[in-house]
Amino acid sequence: MGAQQNSPLGMDGSSLSFTLGNDKLIVNILTANDIVQRNRILEVLLHLASFRGALTQLYVVAPRLLGASLDAQIFRSHGIGLLLFDERRIEETIKPQPFFQNSQSQVITATPDPTVLSELATLKSMYSQMERALENIRAEFTSIKQNSEDKAPGLERDTTGLVFEPVMGAPSLLVKPADDTLPPFFANNPWLDVLSRRGRSEVAPLAG
Amino acid sequence: MSLENYRSHYTFGMDFGTSDFKFGPITCGENPWIVNNRGYFPDKRSAVYRAFETAADVVVGDDVPLYLQSSEDLTARLVYPMRNGMVEKSDDNAWRVVSALCEFGLNAYPTKQNNGFQGYNVVASLSSVSPRYMYERLLDIFKQANRSGMVRAVTVIPQPFAVAIGHGVTTCVVIESGHGNSQVCPISKYPISSAQVALNRGGGDANAITSEILKDAGYGDLANEESLVRKVKEQIGLVPQDLETAITEAKRSPRKFRARYKVSGTRVEIDLEKNSWTRFLIGEYVFNPNHEIFESYFTRGMPRPRDVKMGDTIFRGMLDFGDAIIASVERCPVELQPLLYREIILSGGNFSWKVPESLEGIAVDAPTKIKSLLRQKDIKNVSVKMTASPQLSVWHGCIIYGFAVPDDYEWNWQRLEGWMKLSG
Repeated sequence: MGAQQNSPLGMDGSSLSFTLGNDKLIVNILTANDIVQRNRILEVLLHLASFRGALTQLYVVAPRLLGASLDAQIFRSHGIGLLLFDERRIEETIKPQPFFQNSQSQVITATPDPTVLSELATLKSMYSQMERALENIRAEFTSIKQNSEDKAPGLERDTTGLVFEPVMGAPSLLVKPADDTLPPFFANNPWLDVLSRRGRSEVAPLAG
Repeated sequence: MSLENYRSHYTFGMDFGTSDFKFGPITCGENPWIVNNRGYFPDKRSAVYRAFETAADVVVGDDVPLYLQSSEDLTARLVYPMRNGMVEKSDDNAWRVVSALCEFGLNAYPTKQNNGFQGYNVVASLSSVSPRYMYERLLDIFKQANRSGMVRAVTVIPQPFAVAIGHGVTTCVVIESGHGNSQVCPISKYPISSAQVALNRGGGDANAITSEILKDAGYGDLANEESLVRKVKEQIGLVPQDLETAITEAKRSPRKFRARYKVSGTRVEIDLEKNSWTRFLIGEYVFNPNHEIFESYFTRGMPRPRDVKMGDTIFRGMLDFGDAIIASVERCPVELQPLLYREIILSGGNFSWKVPESLEGIAVDAPTKIKSLLRQKDIKNVSVKMTASPQLSVWHGCIIYGFAVPDDYEWNWQRLEGWMKLSG
């Protein structure tokens, strides 16, 4: 079965597209007039390179007479193939490097590890138990809270004869910031306490 | 805003190191801004200056390289005000650089005036051998700077004291070794200034002997390039556990001890070959220049580190680090001495020495060398450590000091401590 021609890609009809089995071919034809135009060849190559996501190989086909003016090294370094033709034959002068693409048809179908499955089942069961325990704690807490609210007025009466005194520790002169934004080198630094007592309780030595 | 909250936002540290100026508010976290401690005086006669007149009298900070011209020009116009830790009283250019750096530092962290900001509480740190006039000049500079409302209160503390604070040790001996000199300073909640010992030896002297070693090895053409010599010192210089043993071993196995350094991006390669044993002289000279092997360098013209008097302090030239520590500690009460030996903290770039894995035991790091020097003098129960952040510990100490010292602890010229209030 031969190749089926698709609708042309370029607006000017210079690009032809064919389907051959699973392969797709895109052909850009440059006329003699195109070749002498400045940057036309470059433009076409860049246009074709933009299909890298969909294509696997890229060729430039040129008359054999033009072959002498083409630098094979440039084609090789960019993985572009070169076909030269004359009236007698078509020859693949440089093989193209296939472009790697992400194959969408590859589906990973890993067989699940039975050990992992068993551990997952255990975790699921533990989680259910934990949820139940949490529910019981919540219920108990609500019950205790209600009981304490009922008994609170009695407690107040019972403490009328007692005197509450604040528990006084050694007064700390250490300045503490309102938030925890101090740099890490402040952590456990004994100088914070020593320096906070400057001018308070000790006699400083004189300099010199 | 409460006082506590104010301090946790507006405490500002400034460390005037011999090479770098580190500065920033407490909100910088662990890392302040660092620029070279230097200033450039643009040539006002130049056509560019006259055409645009955009440059300041003295340029400091990151812009300095943009103004640099020929290397001949640098010696006269590029000023490092604290190369030796001290600024001469009459050195007006150096003081102009210090003033410009203070202004640059404060303006680098502008703060909105409408959020309770009344100016920074600035803690500046100077070399411990700074004479009183340096404190006076620096405090005057801040008084001037306060015209813009950026400074609320200011204080100045000695660098070894700041190192001890940053390191979190309240009783210790701090040895700070910079480019030009080294200071041994005992601390017991306060710096014990009367027990301080200063040495007229630092990283610059290690550079000097590296330069002589390069000349002897046939690299005389490179020996005058200061930055290259410094790189060579850092790359091949080693500190020997014992100099005699190290030299013997290096001469026995020259391949193992071979000192070779390729200057990246150039064709220059330095290879000491059979003279590779001399790499141990570089480190030894910093710690102890008294070995007879150094005499040959002195007789051939390398200047011997001399005793010099700067301000009120005598800087000792040939005292080794072990003797310097002992001299300093023995000026303190006998009861305190064992506690001081138990916490010796090394700070400054001159203590950063590499120990190649294959040469362990023969080459050692700075703390091991200090222990070894003290052991030779029968001081055994010692602990010597490098400060955790050699470059930043002074600034860390400044920030902690500024945060913790009470606001009403006023500046006192006898103690050289406390806050000098400029506003608020």
